[in-house]
Amino acid sequence: MSFGSTLSRAIAVDAVPGAALLAGLVALPCLVIALTGSGALVLTATNFLVMLIAVLGISLFSGNSGIISFGNVAFMAIGAQVSATLTLPPAIKTANLPLLPVFLQSIQLDFWSATAAALIVVIIVALASGLALVRMSPTSASIATLGLLIIVNSIIVGAQGFTRGSQAMYGVPKLVGLPMAVGLAVVAIIATRLYRDSVTGIRLRAGRDNDAAARACGIDVPAERLRAWVAGAILSGLAGAMFAHMLTVFSAKSFYFDLTFSIIAMMVVGGMASVTGAVSGAVVITVLIEILRRLENGFSLGGLQVPQIFGLTQVGLSVAILVILYGGQTGLLGFREIDSFLPKSWRRQRALPAAASAQARADDGGDVLSVQKLTKSYGGLVAVSDVSLSVRRGEIVGLIGPNGSGKTTLLGCIAGTHAATSGDIRIGTLSLNGLAPHAIARLGIGRTFQTVRLFANMTVLENVTAALADAERGSGLDALAGRAMDLLAEMGIAELSGHIAGTLAYGQQRRVEIARAVAVSPAFLLLDEPTAGMNDVETGVILATLKRLVAERNIGLLIVDHDMKLIMSLCDRIVVLNKGALIAEGSPDEIQGNKNVQEAYLGRRHARLAGNQA
Amino acid sequence: MDIVLQQLLNAVALGGTYALLALGLAIVFSVMGLINFAHGELMTATGYGIFFGIAAGFPFILSLGMGVGLAVVLALSMERVAFRPIRRASPTIMLLTSFAVSTILHTLMQNLISARPKPIPIPDMLAGAVTIGAHQIGTIQVLSIVIAAVSLIGLTLFFRATLLGIGMRAAAEDFDVARLMGLNANRVIAVAFAISGVLAGIAGILWLFQRGSVDPLMGFVPVLKAFIAVVLGGMGSLVGAVAGGFILGVVEVLLRAFLPDALISYRDAISLSIVIAILYFYPDGIIPRRENIR
Repeated sequence: MSFGSTLSRAIAVDAVPGAALLAGLVALPCLVIALTGSGALVLTATNFLVMLIAVLGISLFSGNSGIISFGNVAFMAIGAQVSATLTLPPAIKTANLPLLPVFLQSIQLDFWSATAAALIVVIIVALASGLALVRMSPTSASIATLGLLIIVNSIIVGAQGFTRGSQAMYGVPKLVGLPMAVGLAVVAIIATRLYRDSVTGIRLRAGRDNDAAARACGIDVPAERLRAWVAGAILSGLAGAMFAHMLTVFSAKSFYFDLTFSIIAMMVVGGMASVTGAVSGAVVITVLIEILRRLENGFSLGGLQVPQIFGLTQVGLSVAILVILYGGQTGLLGFREIDSFLPKSWRRQRALPAAASAQARADDGGDVLSVQKLTKSYGGLVAVSDVSLSVRRGEIVGLIGPNGSGKTTLLGCIAGTHAATSGDIRIGTLSLNGLAPHAIARLGIGRTFQTVRLFANMTVLENVTAALADAERGSGLDALAGRAMDLLAEMGIAELSGHIAGTLAYGQQRRVEIARAVAVSPAFLLLDEPTAGMNDVETGVILATLKRLVAERNIGLLIVDHDMKLIMSLCDRIVVLNKGALIAEGSPDEIQGNKNVQEAYLGRRHARLAGNQA
Repeated sequence: MDIVLQQLLNAVALGGTYALLALGLAIVFSVMGLINFAHGELMTATGYGIFFGIAAGFPFILSLGMGVGLAVVLALSMERVAFRPIRRASPTIMLLTSFAVSTILHTLMQNLISARPKPIPIPDMLAGAVTIGAHQIGTIQVLSIVIAAVSLIGLTLFFRATLLGIGMRAAAEDFDVARLMGLNANRVIAVAFAISGVLAGIAGILWLFQRGSVDPLMGFVPVLKAFIAVVLGGMGSLVGAVAGGFILGVVEVLLRAFLPDALISYRDAISLSIVIAILYFYPDGIIPRRENIR
């Protein structure tokens, strides 16, 4: 397999025109400035491009994962510190960095080698910190990135002798000019834009929109976060190295909270979830900072002399952030990319498939999902007690019981979102005990949730594609999107493919959720109240769809629902839980006549009355 | 033996300050999902309240009260003005809003008061040492430990024995359900901010006892540490926040006491790295809040 074909399968072809247009819009004016502009203007443009790369670094991670990073400026600091140490003339090094080992004092590298070395250090730090923070909740992870910023800053300040401590590092050769900045910015824009729409980008955004659902689709959310964290760190490190070799002087303080604040302002103002947003935010905030900096030393307004205002720039940025957050909350562009402003004819349209094609996954052994003596307790409260049940492929098993009888908890234990206290869960002979939710999904268990959990800010097509990605490892994005389209057609919702999932009607959302669960290519499907809140017509459609799925794909279905008509007409077998324990199991007819079940639902006295009537 | 005891007391005193700050952050986080970056400005406001109280000739104790009062007023106004409009927004948006609010507040203090530190004269009676058995312990240290302990015990009583406190705990567990049970959301959130203001005020006093001066960025570093303590304890868990604060205090004091001189300037880096290493094994914190996925 050639590198070219690997690359073309990995990248999002559809995003290329938009990415190229965006890069062109940034590059052209800057190139004009490079050819004709004054020295001050050239410096401003270069500075803008370096900041832009820094914003892209943060937004690649934060925009797609939903975790605000305060730590990317730490990678800029490392990038600047290490690269500048390597390009600094030896004479300055002996005087200013006396503790450096001799071989480091005597060498002087060019910008590219020095930056490459700096990026290796950045990658190591990113991996070490990333391993811990990708597993935390988004808010905790944000705070942990703040910790990283403090750690790196205090190491640079503390390592005086190896570094300049809190003093300025000066004498760095000026190796970054406007043309080089334009080139690197173009690469950064295209890379982040293509990443966003790549398979791994879609999976990461799925995790951002709904963590639990992403894991249920087989997506290893921490692994996707780690990739983006390292990729973002590389961009930030690059921006740091460029910063040092553009300004030729910097200190540890240059890469601390003020810079973090400016970069986050750029990301937020433009819209943190899109690359076009990051670019527009960088433009707006750069202009704002340039204006405020001039006003900071005092100015006169219509004869009124305004005195020097300390920190005016910071206040201006704060106000800009607040205006955006109180306004639309998602920035100037929200989740949109420049593509959505292009004429329709420029964009590639995905054809609706002519006919639904059912493709069952090749059978890989396990025909029975079996649960043995499963118990789940919370402290003293036993939610599920010693329950055993099994589902064969091609069979539909109903799981019913009064509210609070442990149905959802049981599904959660099977899907791995709840850890069982004791018991055994297997597919065939393969044990699922203690596996993470995404690993269980990959072994062939799909699920839906009691409350719909879609990736609300992504399109219906992306929702399904995200779930397919792991079932069909190694397929290109194009092939995956085609398969997702087939699946949507099979579910009768192909016409919704381009809609943002969160904007759909409730019944449609339920169907997308089922389609997404099927995309995992499950051998077994766990559905938690798939028809809750639906009318009779919608319920009928779901019923027909489920029957067809089971027949065509040989799926074993375990379904929880309160709609007894649905359960009785759909299920081959029914399992009844009450207060966490299994109280009855049998065919729909047997369950309908079962005394224990009537008692559980109606209470003893009413059950007797109902029995007499029958 | 003496040095061990001395360091232990240092650890408890510092940990107590972090615990008070972390608890204030955790209370607000648990009722509305907000990590309040502007918590540090509450601490700073306390400092200025005390400074102006003393400057205006009020007795020392009364000035301390004015400091805490100012923190509470600021906490309540920040909730009303800045955070109420975005109450239903995502945690990310709330975090960024508080980040901006914090910047605006300390820039205002820099411009309206002064960027330079203002001294707070500590009364002579606090400068001495107390003799307990064969040991001499700094008065301020004893006072810090007593104040932290009294605050934590008082708050525990409030949470366990008063109707409002029990309501607050319910809201911290599940805010939406607590509202359905008839708890007034505005009131619960206002009380949470008021408590966080009181705690930040008390922590501010303890911090001032150690430093003797107030400047616009006084609250910045301790509150950053308190953030870390909250995450370490388990986001949204009140007991966890207190535990996280004490653990961080102990780690810092131990490093300060026993780290070789060559490494002493890396103290903060090492203590935070230790915390992040702990989080690698307990990504949800050491006393996590229980979440239910349905």
